[in-house]
Amino acid sequence: MEKGYLCIVLHSHLPFVRHPEHEDFLEEDWLYEGITETYIPLIRMIERLYADNVNFRLTMSLTPTLISMLKDTLLQERYNKHINKLIELAHKEVERTRWQPEFNHLAHMYLNNFYEARNTFERYNRDLVNAFKNFQDQGKIEIITCGATHGYFPLMDVVKPSVRAQVKTAVSHYEKVFGRRPKGIWLPECGYNPGDDEILKEAGLRYFFTDAHGVLHGSPRPKYGVFAPVYCKSGVACFGRDLESSKQVWSSIEGYPGDYYYREFYRDIGFDLDYDYIKPYIHPDGIRINTGIKYYRVTGPTNDKQPYNPELARQKAAEHAGNFMFNRHRQIEFLYDALGKKPIITAPYDAELFGHWWYEGVMWLDFLIRKLAFNQDMIRMITPSEYLLENPRNQVITPSLSSWGWKGYSEVWLQGSNDWIYRHLHQASSQMTELVRLFPNVEDGLLKRALNQALRELLLAQSSDWAFIMATGTHVNYAIKRTKEHILRFQRLYQEIKSNSLDKDWLADIEYKDNIFPDIDYRVHQ
Amino acid sequence: MGIWKKIKNKLRQKKGSLSKSIFIKSKKRTKELKSGMGFKMEEAGVRVEESKFYTGPEAAITQKQPMPWELPAGYGKDEIIVQARDPWWLHAYWELTPSTLERLSYQLKDAFQSAKRTLRVYDVSFIIFDGRNAHRFFDIDIGNDANNWYIDTQAPGRSWCVDLGLKLADGRFITIKRSNVVTTPLDGPSWLTDEEWMIPDDLFARLYGMSIGVGSSPVGIKKLWEERLKREFASGVLASPGFSPVKKIKERGFWLVVNTELIVYGATEPDAKVTVQGRPITLRSDGTFTLRFALPDGKQVIPVKAVSKDGLEERSITPIVTKETK
Repeated sequence: MEKGYLCIVLHSHLPFVRHPEHEDFLEEDWLYEGITETYIPLIRMIERLYADNVNFRLTMSLTPTLISMLKDTLLQERYNKHINKLIELAHKEVERTRWQPEFNHLAHMYLNNFYEARNTFERYNRDLVNAFKNFQDQGKIEIITCGATHGYFPLMDVVKPSVRAQVKTAVSHYEKVFGRRPKGIWLPECGYNPGDDEILKEAGLRYFFTDAHGVLHGSPRPKYGVFAPVYCKSGVACFGRDLESSKQVWSSIEGYPGDYYYREFYRDIGFDLDYDYIKPYIHPDGIRINTGIKYYRVTGPTNDKQPYNPELARQKAAEHAGNFMFNRHRQIEFLYDALGKKPIITAPYDAELFGHWWYEGVMWLDFLIRKLAFNQDMIRMITPSEYLLENPRNQVITPSLSSWGWKGYSEVWLQGSNDWIYRHLHQASSQMTELVRLFPNVEDGLLKRALNQALRELLLAQSSDWAFIMATGTHVNYAIKRTKEHILRFQRLYQEIKSNSLDKDWLADIEYKDNIFPDIDYRVHQ
Repeated sequence: MGIWKKIKNKLRQKKGSLSKSIFIKSKKRTKELKSGMGFKMEEAGVRVEESKFYTGPEAAITQKQPMPWELPAGYGKDEIIVQARDPWWLHAYWELTPSTLERLSYQLKDAFQSAKRTLRVYDVSFIIFDGRNAHRFFDIDIGNDANNWYIDTQAPGRSWCVDLGLKLADGRFITIKRSNVVTTPLDGPSWLTDEEWMIPDDLFARLYGMSIGVGSSPVGIKKLWEERLKREFASGVLASPGFSPVKKIKERGFWLVVNTELIVYGATEPDAKVTVQGRPITLRSDGTFTLRFALPDGKQVIPVKAVSKDGLEERSITPIVTKETK
């Protein structure tokens, strides 16, 4: 008997990194790794689920920056080059490990993975967004949007027009890509600031998510905890994250990815093999980087790692999927009796957890979805919009300021390493608002291009990724550089616009470099 | 109650110090992290997200990033902006123009020299603040060089407004600039319930514990939330430079890794067919070839056979290699 719902949400995001001015750019690898290790494996999984006629539901956010990169022909061409290099390397590995049976079958596995990635990439004419669009059109996947460049809304409280620009730019971009309006949004970093729901409403969005305490600490008290959505006063629905189910996937103590039989993320042949041999496949400057070929399993708290065994890992993934389902059953049985209604368990994850970080993650998800479809009838997978159709009556509360970042609020993005950015970001936001007031209706020409580009630069500077990276300590210089570069470009545009002295060549140059959102309308920033 | 208050204060102090102590803690843990296990929940969250940006231990650091022009130090205006960092802490940043300071110096004469730059933090919860009707305020002496400050309000779920000003020797306070108003979130569930959606306290506590992943025993709710925060602290993690993979490597201490590979190379007629250990290989256009094998312990017999294009001639050479590790 059906006693509850499970809503799995995969948040897919990468910041906009595209450098046509450089032949080869290290940070573009973030995208290539994401494609090979997460996006394509997910696409393959969903294709198989459709092919086998499995009944399932997934909710996925694809951020406008990620979509823009996946649809960009330059990056597509570069990915093609990248995957061909990997295939070449995997061939060499098959040869090199001929006398090491424990590694040789893994070299074959990677070779197959890379071939499959290339085939999938080509099957969708290199535009993987089309894959997701098809999946949504077939009805079992709901794709939601996000802030245009993943700006963190709670730290835009003093510049609300920027929140509006983030939301509205994202919504129109979504419409253009998917041919329909988005129903929901993943707030960047799950960051909710009371009142932002009004802006979501203006943009026609019907739901968003918060972390558990966003709902639990909302006022008045939510009767059903996070096990039913609430409405904000604006009428926009808010689904609270269930930490119990999150924990099982994120945590290695109670959770799955740290299992000793799973593949070790940090042992990569880019670092393990002879320099001369690996050199053509690492960074052109000779810096060793990850290749994606990793031969070891987690093994245990030791640096003496054992070779990876895919069959054992597969069994573990199946076991963990069964365990996850078992725990949801216990949870839902209790909640169904306690609440007197069917609870919804909202379980959001970073998509890049699956495949990239947790190599077996996609397999686990595949097992879980099939088990839910065929081995039980207590839980039904659902999307938020389906839930709201079936359960239109919900309590009205004001959720609490919250995020899913470390410690639950804004500290990740507001601390010693990155707090200096806000005076510049807020200044630029105010100036952008001023420009919109000064030029409420520029229809075309150079000025319009400059105004649009100013908004692009501002949005790009606002990506929460830069502050996050400054805080976590990898690629810090790049994050600082990007922040400064976009703010400086914005400042120059602002000055040139106000003094009516636009430099046409320079404008064309930054339009070429920061080419995101070709149809942006600067007037949304108000 | 007294005990909870104490714990909470402790937690809050920790939260405030963005600090070296936490940095160091997370550094200590890196060894454990490197081994791919032992990370706790929140850590894992940060790491997963961080792993998206992970290209390897050296890459990010070694790579040179030519920095663009510097950003302006200020924008030529008097301003103070306050943001909520969490239920307890605010962050304020400000800018004062030289001309404002000159004007004050001129007006205040000698008193200016002894005046202390001060943040006056007003509790303006549930009121429209007019400068005089705050519930209470407290002052922070900020010195002349700071341009931003983290403020410990000690009270979640309140609204705050901050004046940047001068405190004169005689105790008078002169406001230079007033900030925006911010409201911090509650650090626990609301006391407000609505009649229509009433829920018994013990059931709510149970749901609450389940939702935040600290179990469903019906103990006090406040306790549960503190429990969750404590767990995060216990993990000693900060999204901090302590995570830098470079440090992870250094933390391994002294180590040695030795691997052996064998290169087999040779040449024949460019149009010959060559097999190595029975498998065909591709020759370069000049008829040379190079093969590279990881060499495990033991004996490898490597027959190399070349057959001429017309199939009439054949040559075989069989190197035998024995590797032993001591």
